[in-house]
Amino acid sequence: MTSSQMWLIIGMAVVTYLPRVLPVLMLSNREISAPLKKWMSFIPVAIFSALVFSDIFFWNDTFNAHPFDNAKLIPSIIVFYLAYKTKNMLLSMMMGVLAIALMLYVV
Amino acid sequence: MTKKDWLEGCKQMIPVAVGYIPLGIAGGMALQSAGFSTFGIFLMSLLVYAGAAQFMTASMAAAGATVPSIILMTFFLNLRHLLMSSSISGYLKKKSYPFLLLFSHTLTDEAFGLNTHRFTTGNWSPEKGLAANILAYSSWVLSTVAGGMIGTTLHIHTAVVNYVLIAMFICMLLEQFVSKAHLVVGIVAGISAVILKALLQHNISLVIAALIASFAGYLLDSRRQEKPEKEEAMQYDK
Repeated sequence: MTSSQMWLIIGMAVVTYLPRVLPVLMLSNREISAPLKKWMSFIPVAIFSALVFSDIFFWNDTFNAHPFDNAKLIPSIIVFYLAYKTKNMLLSMMMGVLAIALMLYVV
Repeated sequence: MTKKDWLEGCKQMIPVAVGYIPLGIAGGMALQSAGFSTFGIFLMSLLVYAGAAQFMTASMAAAGATVPSIILMTFFLNLRHLLMSSSISGYLKKKSYPFLLLFSHTLTDEAFGLNTHRFTTGNWSPEKGLAANILAYSSWVLSTVAGGMIGTTLHIHTAVVNYVLIAMFICMLLEQFVSKAHLVVGIVAGISAVILKALLQHNISLVIAALIASFAGYLLDSRRQEKPEKEEAMQYDK
């Protein structure tokens, strides 16, 4: 491993760990006010929705909502449907990956 | 932590830990082809433990990006954990420092999603959560190392590999729709994330979209409950 790779890993570790650890250390033993609590209850859904939609609507780094050009759209509908119906995460994930593989290699 | 904590915690994390295997192998392969040794990959997974950032590092390093620029992008990409860490802190009361330090280190998107869902539905404890997180952590470290050792002998379309992560996120997103207000927040976050990403072409769009949507949810909820909670609302009106 080169020294620049070592510094890279150390730097990445620091900038990743601080946002993860500081709020837990500062907030976990403190009473959080009701409005802050209410706001925080919306964070999980907001983050996951932002992560999902800002990924599936982009293909080669540009916005693409065409279901055949953007191979992620149809598999995503399948995963949404299966996860909702079966509540089985592993099955839904596997079918989604299978679907995108079919889109890319077969269609 | 009792044996029961370990067993029950790990059991819930199995889908995530299994999902990490193909992802980790692909991440390790990408890092290896970007010039990282197996030991370097091991160290990065152990100390950084952030899948999306590690994928990004592989592609940036392969394109010849400088060390400071990769660290800066990692910072922006992982800034979302600030929100997750704040949100989960309420469930981690009266825990020792070592416990909190380890729990936060293993707080990935998936660990956050699973723990939040379990804490809100009950029959869950910080100890089970930590056990679950450690299982996912081990799976990630081992899989990326395996990917580094396999190297570039295997060719899989990167879109297929990356999709494992997205499929996992979709399942976790569905678990968060616990009320109508949460559904609205999800829609706002999704739309604003797409628009902001198209406009800014930068990862910070994720954090901004999440902030906008969660704040919109807060306003929506406060407005609906304005009458019964008038006194409390007034205290915080500036």
